[in-house]
Amino acid sequence: MDYFLSEEQKVIKRLAKRISDEVISKVAGKYDKEGIFPRDILNLLAYTELTGVYIPKEYGGFGGGVMEMCLVVEELSRNCAGIAVSYAATALGAYPIMLYGTQEQKKKYLTKIAKGEAIAAFALTEADAGSDVSSIKTVAEKDGDFYILNGSKHWITNGGEADIYVVFAVTDKSKGPRGISAFIVEKGYEGFYFGKKEDKMGIRASSTTELVFENCKVPKENLLGREGTGFIIAMKTFDRTRPGVAAMAIGIAQGAYEHALKYAKERVQFGQPLSSFQAIQHMLADMYINIEAARALLYSTCRMIDSGAKDYTKESSACKVFASDVAMKVTIDAVQIMGGNGYVKDYPVEKMMRDAKVTQIFEGANQIQRNIIASEIVKEL
Amino acid sequence: MNILVCVKQIIDPDKMEYSPITKTVKRNPQHLLNNPADLSALEFALRVKDTFPDSRVYTLSMGALECKDRIKEIVELGIDEAILLSDKRLAGSDASATSYALSCAIKSLGKFNLILCGEHSLDGETSIVPPQIAEYLGICHMTSIVDIKPKDQNTLEVVKKIENALVRFEIKLPVLLSVKKDSNSVRFPKLSFMIRALSYEPKILTLDNLKDIDVKRIGLEGSKTTVDEFEEEKIENFSCEIFEQGNFKEIECIVDAVLKYI
Repeated sequence: MDYFLSEEQKVIKRLAKRISDEVISKVAGKYDKEGIFPRDILNLLAYTELTGVYIPKEYGGFGGGVMEMCLVVEELSRNCAGIAVSYAATALGAYPIMLYGTQEQKKKYLTKIAKGEAIAAFALTEADAGSDVSSIKTVAEKDGDFYILNGSKHWITNGGEADIYVVFAVTDKSKGPRGISAFIVEKGYEGFYFGKKEDKMGIRASSTTELVFENCKVPKENLLGREGTGFIIAMKTFDRTRPGVAAMAIGIAQGAYEHALKYAKERVQFGQPLSSFQAIQHMLADMYINIEAARALLYSTCRMIDSGAKDYTKESSACKVFASDVAMKVTIDAVQIMGGNGYVKDYPVEKMMRDAKVTQIFEGANQIQRNIIASEIVKEL
Repeated sequence: MNILVCVKQIIDPDKMEYSPITKTVKRNPQHLLNNPADLSALEFALRVKDTFPDSRVYTLSMGALECKDRIKEIVELGIDEAILLSDKRLAGSDASATSYALSCAIKSLGKFNLILCGEHSLDGETSIVPPQIAEYLGICHMTSIVDIKPKDQNTLEVVKKIENALVRFEIKLPVLLSVKKDSNSVRFPKLSFMIRALSYEPKILTLDNLKDIDVKRIGLEGSKTTVDEFEEEKIENFSCEIFEQGNFKEIECIVDAVLKYI
């Protein structure tokens, strides 16, 4: 389907596709099996200047928006969502600074992220605060020119590998969600440690770790926005980054669909290719329909956000939910079409099925997304 | 340092069609690609520029205006300027006439410290164009180069492949070097270069722009060789099975496939 991308967007997509097909496809299996962080691929994305596609020109980026970020994530995910998420998680760490940072903060951090000199991460989730964001327990107490952070964060993508972390902590417990603040924490700050690295089902090339803060000293100028605006910063960031999860899901689904289609044309049973059987044809047709529908919703949402719309919470959540459910369905069907070969690691679709699952879980589980969408549409009545 | 790389837009060898009437290869613009060995030469030029960023990398191509789309792919790699020598009077030039025309173009463009060419083009396979250009220009040349490293602004360290040996040379500029295909990995383009390429137009030269060119020495008339016949090589009992990556569970599959043909 022609989505009438601009010439520049087509160039971004073409470049990301080349890297995905020529480099990522060759290492995806090994990185998944051995849990290798894709530092080399991120360096290549930095060299080719794809690290800065969504960052304003004044901070050394390309000046694109959510659409440009999604085009890159989608293409990288066609071959490895684990590698793609390492790229996308930097965007998740960069957006709070882009949206709420001071000029100094933007200049200091965004320029490094745009050039690929720094990897970023977003640290909100805790062991007892996943979907229930407002119950985070990490605290930040002001002490002269510093905030002192204590607590821990769980399941942080790019944890241990990132140079810059946007960390959410309670500055005023009595105010509930309005007592949460956001801080920029650099790797190497006193009292900032990395805990256990998770052994995950999918996206195994990415690093997911625990962050530990023990009297971590954060300079007061690293406060993002004002004290108490952390919850809003997190929610507004997600509004811009949930399309990135949708892009990842669509990339995974597209990759699985392409493998299944090729296999169905080549695999001969009962004297004819699988693709000649109507049962298989219908599965392939459904894959195509669902992927294109998810992509159309994603690109429409991206265009809405990038054109300056003020409120796009439900659209952002809707494309994330729909695309991630499509990715799960498509990858399960791809494994089904490929039968025994789909179930073993000689083919990439079993990895894609494992990778797809997380898109229904992270950046807000799909059940929470449906709550958000329902709340918005009921409010609009 | 001024560096010039000759890049030929060739017909994809897998899609080559011969015209028995004109006795030339049909040049369908959709089947054009940049000659792989020339891209290896270009990669070395860009590496010299990486070392000496003040260097300027130019490319020179010869062909119809339809070559412009492929030239954009060269621009995407980060060259400074692309030049296309395009004139209907050049049609049908053989290797010798091509060398003469290119050398006249190079003389008109100015002085270059380093000229790089691919060793041969996949559609011509003559390998004589680079040495002939050097002879016409009166500069030193060396063939079969597989590595180039700049030592300083006037000296290169090069590696030449001879049969099963690699020979290291230090060579003074100016020089023309012809580079073997696959001597290096051609870099990925940068996004900013790709955006520049979107609206980039190469500088077009015609024969009228070239100083002192003798038009009797170019084109079909000026060529010393003509193609009498073109025959596709027939390979008896040839068959092919393609194994995609991951499309086999055991290495025995390949061994069995090979054994079938022995």
